[in-house]
Amino acid sequence: MSIRAKAESLWNVDILGKNVLAFQRWQAERRPFKSSKWRTDILAEPLRIGARTKELIGLHYLEGRYANGHRPVAWVTSGGPVEILQALGYYVLYPENHGALCGTRRAVVDISTEAENAGYSRDICSYARTDIGSMLSGKTPVGKLPKPDLLLACTNICQTVLSWYRVLAKHFNVPLILIDTPFVYKEAPQHALDYVQKQLEDSIPTSEKVAGKKLEYKKLQQTLQLSKDATELWLEIMGRGKHRPSPISVFDQFIHMAPIVEMRGERVTVDFYARMLKELDERIEKGIGAVKNERKRLLWDNLPIWYRLRYFAEYLGERGISVVASTYTNAWGELAPLIDVNKPLESMAKTYIYPILNRGTQYKLDTMRRMIDEFHLDGAILHSDRSCKPYSIGQVDQRNRLIKEYGVQALLLEADHDDPRAFAEEQVAARLAAFVEMLED
Amino acid sequence: MDSIEIPKRIETINSFKAQGGKVAAVLPIHYSRALFRAFDILPVEVWGPPEVEASYGGVHLQAYVCSIVHNALSFLKKGGLEIADFILVPHACDSLQGLGSILLDFVKPTQTVAPLYLPRGKRTEDKQFLADEFRALARQLSNLTGKEPGDDKLLECIEREEQADLLLADLYRNRTGLGLDNLSFYRLIRSREYLPAEQFTELAQTALEKHSARNPNGIPILLSGIVPERMEVLKAIEELGGFVVADDFACCGRRLYPKGNERDPFLRMAERIINAPPDPTRGNSIDERAEFLINLAQTYGAKGVIFYELKFCEPELFDLPNLRNSLKQAGLNSVHIEVDIKDPLSNQVITRIGAFLEILE
Ligand code: SF4
Ligand code: SF4
Repeated sequence: MSIRAKAESLWNVDILGKNVLAFQRWQAERRPFKSSKWRTDILAEPLRIGARTKELIGLHYLEGRYANGHRPVAWVTSGGPVEILQALGYYVLYPENHGALCGTRRAVVDISTEAENAGYSRDICSYARTDIGSMLSGKTPVGKLPKPDLLLACTNICQTVLSWYRVLAKHFNVPLILIDTPFVYKEAPQHALDYVQKQLEDSIPTSEKVAGKKLEYKKLQQTLQLSKDATELWLEIMGRGKHRPSPISVFDQFIHMAPIVEMRGERVTVDFYARMLKELDERIEKGIGAVKNERKRLLWDNLPIWYRLRYFAEYLGERGISVVASTYTNAWGELAPLIDVNKPLESMAKTYIYPILNRGTQYKLDTMRRMIDEFHLDGAILHSDRSCKPYSIGQVDQRNRLIKEYGVQALLLEADHDDPRAFAEEQVAARLAAFVEMLED
Repeated sequence: MDSIEIPKRIETINSFKAQGGKVAAVLPIHYSRALFRAFDILPVEVWGPPEVEASYGGVHLQAYVCSIVHNALSFLKKGGLEIADFILVPHACDSLQGLGSILLDFVKPTQTVAPLYLPRGKRTEDKQFLADEFRALARQLSNLTGKEPGDDKLLECIEREEQADLLLADLYRNRTGLGLDNLSFYRLIRSREYLPAEQFTELAQTALEKHSARNPNGIPILLSGIVPERMEVLKAIEELGGFVVADDFACCGRRLYPKGNERDPFLRMAERIINAPPDPTRGNSIDERAEFLINLAQTYGAKGVIFYELKFCEPELFDLPNLRNSLKQAGLNSVHIEVDIKDPLSNQVITRIGAFLEILE
């Protein structure tokens, strides 16, 4: 550990950064609506918690910027079992979240081009391309990303992450921990659960070696408890979408989901979501809807289109349509009941094998149907994401079944979650218009 | 050049069935042939196939899914797999995973569909898990056939496959002296995708007996990718002055499974797959792959490498830039050619291969 790195972090993060970010948040909380570029004549004013989201994420990336040299750094896939690393004091970076941030800041084309110029095809996932482009060029909207000391790839979202992390492992020449989670076509057989648990156990010595310390069982339990608490709160937050009008849209969820993905297992995340839930309850009490004139309610399937959140929110909001539930954001909440702090590794094996992305196409359809019932929805938008084959394959049948067997309108809309070059403006507008018309019939 | 009489796929299937056996259609890439044979089932592999009206698959799949998956589904929907009693979908990538899932959930063919998960590591737990996957598959095959082969029967079948694979490796080792042109050689190699091991063994022995120390004409090159489809490309390479001395195709060279040591038959089947040449769909590192390719090129005197890839194949596309850099550092030129097996061999592909061979010359 370098004393200089520690001192730099203390000064830049703990003394300067924290206070500056807290001051900016204090200012923003006093004038939240002026800073909103979104149309507040049709949509509710932005959630006040937004100022804290900015502070939290800003601080997270600032910590990352000064982490190398005094704290072990791990890069982890978004569905990865992070609790062991958190308990060992790692700074954890999720390249997918960074990719999403690049998407919202419209930086993807520039950064991804760096990867494409190095020979990476535009047919590979745009998160991976953005991350590899950033790795090769150092470009990022957050100033600087810390170099990893350890990589952890968990295949519970896709196999793409393993291909991607093998590229990172070669570039950074650091250990790559693989947690391979066999795809669950129906139910996970016992040998698959045992396999995942064994890999989790085996990941501990490598993680300890890189961190230079031993894992404390108690600390792991505490981290798991915090993960569970935050996840349960997130689930409750999404559940508030059942109210009419819904106090929260999926676009709000997309904007405020970063902490549940990248800061699970931290006290601050639990406090953050408790505060957010309170704000939503206040909205419910006052009858405030995320869409001012909510008439129709929709489901969003698959990843967000990060560079067009506002476009969709406003286009639909203008027509009184609120998108209130999403299979994607639900993925970070639905497994909360499986976490058992008294059986850390056994319950982690279950939790991490069962995310929606690691489950069969029928399960995804059943989830959509359940959400349509529970949230009283009129239809669904299925984002067919060129970049994300595991999420998208099956959507053609899912859409047809929603329409034919379930009698709800469903739109399959092709785009890419991060790369605006795959967004066909006119085609999307035409398809959305036709869909909205059908909803009205 | 001489060529070898290879039994046709349909004849093989019919004659196997006529003797009371069953047939399983198997999608790419890794599985155990021996396990099927122990239940008197002939595994017949489905790599596409290329010549099929692909629009049937489009009813279920987006256009950005690779043509192997599109064509396999189209083939099934058109009735091409009706002859099969069982369908196995090994897990090689996100796209095959998706295909397995929609077959089970939505398409629901009349035959039993079974997935097989392939672990992505080489650790003890990976081998154990794969063995357990084979045990689970064996239970399904037992339900289908009513048979319950014991360990001895399983080991006998494994050893027969090992013998066939050893001969397959011999064919590669003696490639240049076999007197077979590119297309004939790959027809022979790829007959392993449907011939019973004992029949393939006979064919391989016949080919090896004809071996002479002849030197081939043409620039020695190495091919890498998933599958050499359309196969006419092999002929085109020859006509352009190239001679394929070795390959790193998922359907061919990456399945040169070594002989196993385990006495437990399920562990032995798993061991053989886990110790096979590096493959991105089995999680081998890029360095392992690069080292393997360089060694392969040096052993067979290849002057360059053609990465003959299928569009949208992510497992392949991720490794390409690093592999090509490593080859370059080792003094080997390479070219990346992207094809779609739904399309006929294009002039553009032929021109690019020609230009590459000219550089090597
Ligand atoms: S393929 Fe899908 S799940 Fe995998 S990293 Fe890309 S967006 Fe995420
Ligand atoms: S060609 Fe590539 S993407 Fe397609 S099935 Fe094979 S491995 Fe998967």
